[in-house]
Amino acid sequence: MTITQRFLAIAFALAIAMLGSGSASAQKAKIGVIYPSPIGEVGWAHELDVGRQAIADKLGDKVEFVKAENIPEGPDAQRIMNQMASENPKLIILGSFGYMNDGMRLAAKRPDIDFIHASGYKTTQNFGWFLARNYESAYVAGLAAGYVTKSKILGVVAAYPIPEVLAMINGLTIGAQKVNPDVTVKVVWLNSWFDPNKSQEAARSLVAQKADVLYSLYQDTPEVVSLAEQLGVHVISTSSDMSKYAPKWYLAGPHVNWSKFFVASAEAAIAGTFKGQGYWGGMKDGCVSVVAISHDLKPDQRKVVEDAIVAITAGQFHPMTGPITSQDGELKLKPGEVMADPPLLGINWLVKGVETRIPR
Amino acid sequence: MREGLLTLPRLKLELRTDHSRLALVGVSLMAIIASFAVGMILLAILGRSPMRVSNAFFIQPFTSLYGIGEILLKTGPLLLIAQGLAVGYRANVWNIGAEGQLTVGAIAAGVLALSFDTSNSVFLLPAMIIVGALAGAAWAAIAAFLRVRWNANEILTTFMLSSVALQLLYYLVTGPLRDPLGQNFPQSALFSDAALFGTLIPGSRANTSLLLGLAATLISYVFMQHSIHGFRLIVSGLAPRAARYAGFGEARAVWIGLIAGGICAGIAGVGEVAGPIGMLQRVLSPGYGFAAIIVAFLGGLHPIGIMFAAVLMALLYVGGDFALVSASVPNAFATIFQSLLLVFYLAGALLAVYRVRLVWRSSEVPT
Amino acid sequence: MMDTLMFIVVGTLGATTPLLFAALGELVAERSGVLNLSIEGMMASGAAVGFAVTTLSHSHSLGFIAGALAAGALSLAFGVLVLVCLANQVAAGLAIGLLGLGVSALVGKPFEGNTVPPLPKLNVLGLAHVPIIGPILFGQDILVYAGVALLAILAWIFKRTKFGLIIRAVGEAPTAARDIGYPVIRIRFGCVAFGGLLAGIGGAYLSTAYTALWTEGLVAGRGWIAVALVVFGSWIPLRIAVGAYVFGAISLLELSIQGFGLNVPSQFLSALPYIATIVVLAVISRDATYLRLNRPVALGKVFRSDG
Repeated sequence: MTITQRFLAIAFALAIAMLGSGSASAQKAKIGVIYPSPIGEVGWAHELDVGRQAIADKLGDKVEFVKAENIPEGPDAQRIMNQMASENPKLIILGSFGYMNDGMRLAAKRPDIDFIHASGYKTTQNFGWFLARNYESAYVAGLAAGYVTKSKILGVVAAYPIPEVLAMINGLTIGAQKVNPDVTVKVVWLNSWFDPNKSQEAARSLVAQKADVLYSLYQDTPEVVSLAEQLGVHVISTSSDMSKYAPKWYLAGPHVNWSKFFVASAEAAIAGTFKGQGYWGGMKDGCVSVVAISHDLKPDQRKVVEDAIVAITAGQFHPMTGPITSQDGELKLKPGEVMADPPLLGINWLVKGVETRIPR
Repeated sequence: MREGLLTLPRLKLELRTDHSRLALVGVSLMAIIASFAVGMILLAILGRSPMRVSNAFFIQPFTSLYGIGEILLKTGPLLLIAQGLAVGYRANVWNIGAEGQLTVGAIAAGVLALSFDTSNSVFLLPAMIIVGALAGAAWAAIAAFLRVRWNANEILTTFMLSSVALQLLYYLVTGPLRDPLGQNFPQSALFSDAALFGTLIPGSRANTSLLLGLAATLISYVFMQHSIHGFRLIVSGLAPRAARYAGFGEARAVWIGLIAGGICAGIAGVGEVAGPIGMLQRVLSPGYGFAAIIVAFLGGLHPIGIMFAAVLMALLYVGGDFALVSASVPNAFATIFQSLLLVFYLAGALLAVYRVRLVWRSSEVPT
Repeated sequence: MMDTLMFIVVGTLGATTPLLFAALGELVAERSGVLNLSIEGMMASGAAVGFAVTTLSHSHSLGFIAGALAAGALSLAFGVLVLVCLANQVAAGLAIGLLGLGVSALVGKPFEGNTVPPLPKLNVLGLAHVPIIGPILFGQDILVYAGVALLAILAWIFKRTKFGLIIRAVGEAPTAARDIGYPVIRIRFGCVAFGGLLAGIGGAYLSTAYTALWTEGLVAGRGWIAVALVVFGSWIPLRIAVGAYVFGAISLLELSIQGFGLNVPSQFLSALPYIATIVVLAVISRDATYLRLNRPVALGKVFRSDG
């Protein structure tokens, strides 16, 4: 480098340095949240943010947030979570299944930060997971689907074949078959949490195969819902009430609410009492609900649906109650047998009536 | 052409005879300043504080061990790949499929690691590097073969092959290489410790990729010293026909140019999966293969220039993360910054290689 | 089975249209000798700007115009780099493309999560109700028909008009063309800008008609497929259109293949367009005469107006 170049470089650096340095904020506890898709007004990421807002409402001035939205799983997420960790937060909320391995690695390096991870199944001292019993709301929606379907074919636009999703498909199928035993279910696996192009094409392909009720299973944006309205088929969404995107054809809205759990985790992390464990919320504790049930259901049908909600909420009924046979013809649950939590958490089979197989 | 009121001035270009290297550095600085200025204006339009964002982008990364470590972590693969690509670019061989070559290298190393997942051998990592380099080279060789034998344009073939490589990766992690204990999520099992690079600086994530990148820089520099045309910095497409290595025919230049890029990208791929990622998954690289192309050009296709350009690009990646997390600036901004750098550089590079004169009178211009 | 086939045949025209516009635009640019690799970024900006304007103005037409202009602006910047500053076309294309992607993300951000009403399906000649062929031929939206018209016009221009011949001359032998008196740089600028406008329309169609929303990554590599299509079609408009249709159908087939019970991995189908293009490229490049007849000889090479 010549002297001139060196001078220029130093001058340049000085100019930059005169831009000042960032300020440190003293007392507030930081909480980081990573969202796999844009927060928007509805959807999975939105409900995460509602939970985050609950923390803000409860703890007010004591906390501040560091948010990163639309972070795809993979190297981007890894960088962002490491970045967040460098700000020394008390808690990091990892909003997607695919953040798991990177999150656990970070947790091992930073025992001073607590982590809660969505849809996961591994825990350590400072790493816990949270999950919702969406199979319950899927069951309720399935009842409604079984009532309104004329073609007896339901179509599911599903993200990944992870156990949580499989349980939801099973819930839907079992519910529909309860009121309409000949119902079959077709699934298209998107292999993505967020692909509006493909999810719409998948929905069209299912409708072409005569499905007249669609289940938008974990699309974070409402494109399948609005497409269903256009195509004139009933539609069920996940996570949020998306009825405004399909005023005529919306069938039911399984809804999830993380507020209680997020607030509890934040308080524990700040107080230093956090322990990594699994949280599996359901209708019973207000985590899961079903809203916006369509008026296309006749009054007696509606009553069946509402009774089911009451029964599940009271803990009197479990959707995964035998006799239940798998796709392969194996009797998985004997009559009256209720599936226990541990096998349900790792479920790897689909019930009879689901025509599409799990990709191997 | 008739001269009239609307005749545009013509650009008359005269090749500079003084050495353009200094001028190109000047162009780089000018590009940095120009893109910085545009960036600040853009921020102001968006209602963000330019000061705060610049601070996040350029200052904060240097203020912590974490930040510096991240910059080094990113510089490694960018430097390594860019050096490999530049070997080809200097000879007018245009490899834009580095992303695919990286992927194939990562797959090869991953298959090795997964096959020997109980091994503790100290030879596993070097074997993975060799296998990755060979895989990357082989992938690039396809394009070289198609160009040499059948005259197929390598810009198109390398890019197509890149897309094919990505689909191959998706297929493998969704099917044959999927972790049986991974709950059906498309990723492989984690590699064992013997298949992972250690970190260079404790407390940071910088790893051996950086050393490999520096080695590539050194090799490139030495190699260029021995080439007669080596210092002809070819930035624009105005390469004279003799822009290839002395003593090599065109076919050799194509093979060498493409394979050098393939080897470097393949090794970079190994660096990613044996480094920060530690397994095979659907997304292995945040676009290093394409970013390295920018780095190669920004560095004026010269090994030392590329080194500086790689650090700058790494800084933009890391600064973008800092800005995202501490100032809520969307990641798109870092992308815009990176692209503006190259745009301004390309615009200004003309001035470095040629003296430009505007000519109005038609009598001076051959019609 | 029949329904799925119908779905693929009908649905493909919607999937084909953005590809067709972008590829035909690139065809024009490449015929004049300029390789523009920034299509992905141009389509993205067309999509983002088109979506924003459609949402704000409730007018699809304004959205398409805005999208076209946005992409056109990018293509002009590309033109300046490549034709005036004589930059390397690969580097300039990647730079402008990246810029387009970044700008589109910023522009589209406030509109994420919105949805716009899709383009109405026409009922040409009142025949959309005819079973089977009705929806396919007579019940598409206006841009599908525009795409077909564009195809016909471009095919005619390049085959039969002097204008087309001039463009081809500029792409094959720019020095000779310049010596005859044609303003090579200006013609190339025009062709690049035209390509930009079309890419913008293709992108806007994606966000305001086909998927009716905006998100980062909406274009999903279609810009690159358009580049491949031009090669796959050997720079002949009709072949490019056929290729666009085939590639579009393959992408829909990926989803339906699971329903057929066939064991073809969907990733193989995703890779197929690229593999096919490599094969075609290799085959047509072998025959030097055939190549010279079709591929613009000066493609990718810089031209100096006084050189």
